[in-house]
Amino acid sequence: MATDKTNLQLVVNGILNENPIFRLVLSMCPAVGISTTVMNGFMLGIAVLFVQVCSSCTIALFKNVIHPRIRIPTYTLTIATWVTVIDMVLAAYLPEAYAKMGIFIKLIVAFAIITMRLEMFASKESVNASFWDGIGMGLGFMFGMMALGFVRELLGMGTLLGYDVLGFKPLLFFVLPFAGFFCVGLMMAFFNYVEIVYKRAKRA
Amino acid sequence: MKNILTIIFRLTVACLLAGLVMGVAFIFTNKAKKHNIHVNEQKVMLSLLGFSEKNPAPASVAMHEVYRYLVGEGEGLGMGYLLPLQDGTYSFVTLDLAGGFVSQTPVAISAEKVVEEGERTPAIGAAIGAEKPLRYADQTIVVTNDGKRMAYLLPGRFPGFKTFINAILAVDSSFSILGLEIMEHEEDPGLGAEIDQEYFKNQFKGKPLETVKKLEVVKTPLPEEYRKGLEADKSGLGAEEVARIQEQYKDNDIYALTGATISSRSVTNGVKAMVKKFAYRVAILDRVLVEQHIATPF
Amino acid sequence: MNMHGMRRILLSLVLLLGLPVLVQAQELIAGKSFGKGPNEIVVTFAGPVDRAVVEDPANYRVYEEQDPDIKLALESVVLAEDQKTATLTFAEPLNARLSHVVTIDRVAESGAAATFKVMKPYLGYLLSILISALLINNFVFTKYLGLCVFFGTSKRKDTAKGMGLTFTMVMVVSAIMSWFFYQFIMKPYGLNFLQIVIFIGLVSLTVQAVDTVLRKVNPALFNAFGVYLVLVIANCVIIAVPLILADNEYNFWESFMLALGAGGGFLLALYLMSSVRERMELANIPTTFKGVPIAFIVAGQFALAFLGFSGLTLF
Repeated sequence: MATDKTNLQLVVNGILNENPIFRLVLSMCPAVGISTTVMNGFMLGIAVLFVQVCSSCTIALFKNVIHPRIRIPTYTLTIATWVTVIDMVLAAYLPEAYAKMGIFIKLIVAFAIITMRLEMFASKESVNASFWDGIGMGLGFMFGMMALGFVRELLGMGTLLGYDVLGFKPLLFFVLPFAGFFCVGLMMAFFNYVEIVYKRAKRA
Repeated sequence: MKNILTIIFRLTVACLLAGLVMGVAFIFTNKAKKHNIHVNEQKVMLSLLGFSEKNPAPASVAMHEVYRYLVGEGEGLGMGYLLPLQDGTYSFVTLDLAGGFVSQTPVAISAEKVVEEGERTPAIGAAIGAEKPLRYADQTIVVTNDGKRMAYLLPGRFPGFKTFINAILAVDSSFSILGLEIMEHEEDPGLGAEIDQEYFKNQFKGKPLETVKKLEVVKTPLPEEYRKGLEADKSGLGAEEVARIQEQYKDNDIYALTGATISSRSVTNGVKAMVKKFAYRVAILDRVLVEQHIATPF
Repeated sequence: MNMHGMRRILLSLVLLLGLPVLVQAQELIAGKSFGKGPNEIVVTFAGPVDRAVVEDPANYRVYEEQDPDIKLALESVVLAEDQKTATLTFAEPLNARLSHVVTIDRVAESGAAATFKVMKPYLGYLLSILISALLINNFVFTKYLGLCVFFGTSKRKDTAKGMGLTFTMVMVVSAIMSWFFYQFIMKPYGLNFLQIVIFIGLVSLTVQAVDTVLRKVNPALFNAFGVYLVLVIANCVIIAVPLILADNEYNFWESFMLALGAGGGFLLALYLMSSVRERMELANIPTTFKGVPIAFIVAGQFALAFLGFSGLTLF
């Protein structure tokens, strides 16, 4: 069953319609825990993008030889391999970023989003389509993380990407870990609201 | 049956392939990773001594690593120090618990390998005899300028509010604190994590040994003038002003971080313990080095 | 000299010869612990001891186990009225987290020294790991792991209980297996870079094994909990725990406590959340917030509440 979407549509789909964080409600752990600054969100987004694209392509490449009974362990193995590779590469070449993202890199292997995507898409589609879909999902994840990071960093520390924008710290609350819950909840509600207004406008 | 065999076969092949990819990546990246860690440590150590990119360390400054071990057990428990000698070789000096000299054994190891614990400990074990239990304790770096002792760098680890705090402390030859750098911690952001901010770390600068031995934490707010002196980069104060403020506050206790008294206390107690133990041990080691005429480059 | 006299002599001979053996055979130190004040250690002897020996600080050598060359300064020793309990007072506060070694010279009947260690009870340490994983560092509310599964299964109390229990079971088994693998295969052969793959592999194996066993042994139980088994593997916590125990180099019991606490904490979080969510279904919530958004906000409030456990030290 080949998808009939164009490559660009696949990418946009990943960012908007099927945004992993806000629409599919997957991979919440990093969204809550690590979205304290825009930079963090960006870095983790890049990592997830890399793992997603590589895993999607690998699975799409081998989809005909993977036995259906062991497909879940195979997905897990693929993801774990790529995660280990990116873990080692980051530690070697980007130590400051690695120090911040520490345990979350290793946890990418348990991100539901990647396994789900492999199951739903990569195991059925061509390598090309999987590649673009992977990019879409990764970008969607990065966009979600950066949006959260934007709000939390600005309101919590008054900075953006490390640059002092406001000159004071409005509400330290937002940078503390549990504020992630509040922010994600509020953002989801916001997206819901946007969708309702959009639908209402369409009907009118 | 055939189905299960196919499954097992395919799974094994997949595992081997994955292992191959990871092994290759490991071989390529491991060296760079270790190099990064080493470079970072060097940078931190030099900045603790007051050197930076704008003020690089002169060529006469050299760093010598001394490794401390616990040797033997029960009644035969003692301290062992792996020291670099003047001629570039290494020697392992053992002392008993009261500080008396026991033995000196040359250890065959090169300067590159000595930094790796995996190479160093077996080399010492081979030199002193494999039956003696050997346990690595910690490391000290003696910094000399033209052969004269300038400072000591003490990496250390102590419990914090959450888990452990890794820090490097720099003391001068009379054991006054030159600087403190927090390398790793897991304290709360915005609260305990402020221990790596200038206005906390720099409070330790310039405190003499006698003050440090009795150092406590007070919960009064940081005086505005003191804060400006601590954050000289931000406040733009000149070096003379900073020195004057440091001299004025050098016998004071440490001002705690707002909302992070326990973290402040953990760091203060950790630093206190590190300096006290080090001053005690280095005095003993120096006495032994002089008595036994051991030629070290410091 | 008659039989009675002979017996008496024999008895006293035996006692005289056997006494030192008896005394040394029984433990001289009946109890030891850190005292009430931060500068104290309290030692309880099995029998009455020589006051002059025990109350002389010069007969003592006390040091922290990791720093045997640094003697701690002992100010005074006071022997209680019953001549069995001695309180050692030190010049500086002791770090009760560390194990201390105390040697008392010439305290035994035979003139030998007695050496013993004073530390916090190990059981207390194990329990503190458990409480930490359960409340202080609750994996859901403090560490933000396992959220996908958390929000998915916290809609109703039954699902919450099922998921929590299944998860705890799988967690403990896979943590123990990971510990074995780490100690006996990964560390000796330097295979640390394969941590992620091996741990997740072990989890998959455990899930598969529990699945098969449950199917055969207790079909009723399988019908109730089987569906959650698949979800376990999507839970970040399941791989976080082996990574933590490898990082901290926990031993077997510490790993067991960590896994139990992690599973228990997850169960607690799920139960609390589901109780609230069941009630929320009857509440009047604005349309944009219905479903997941309000769940997040509630979770945030729980996280805020759990922050109150920060810094709790029971043991």
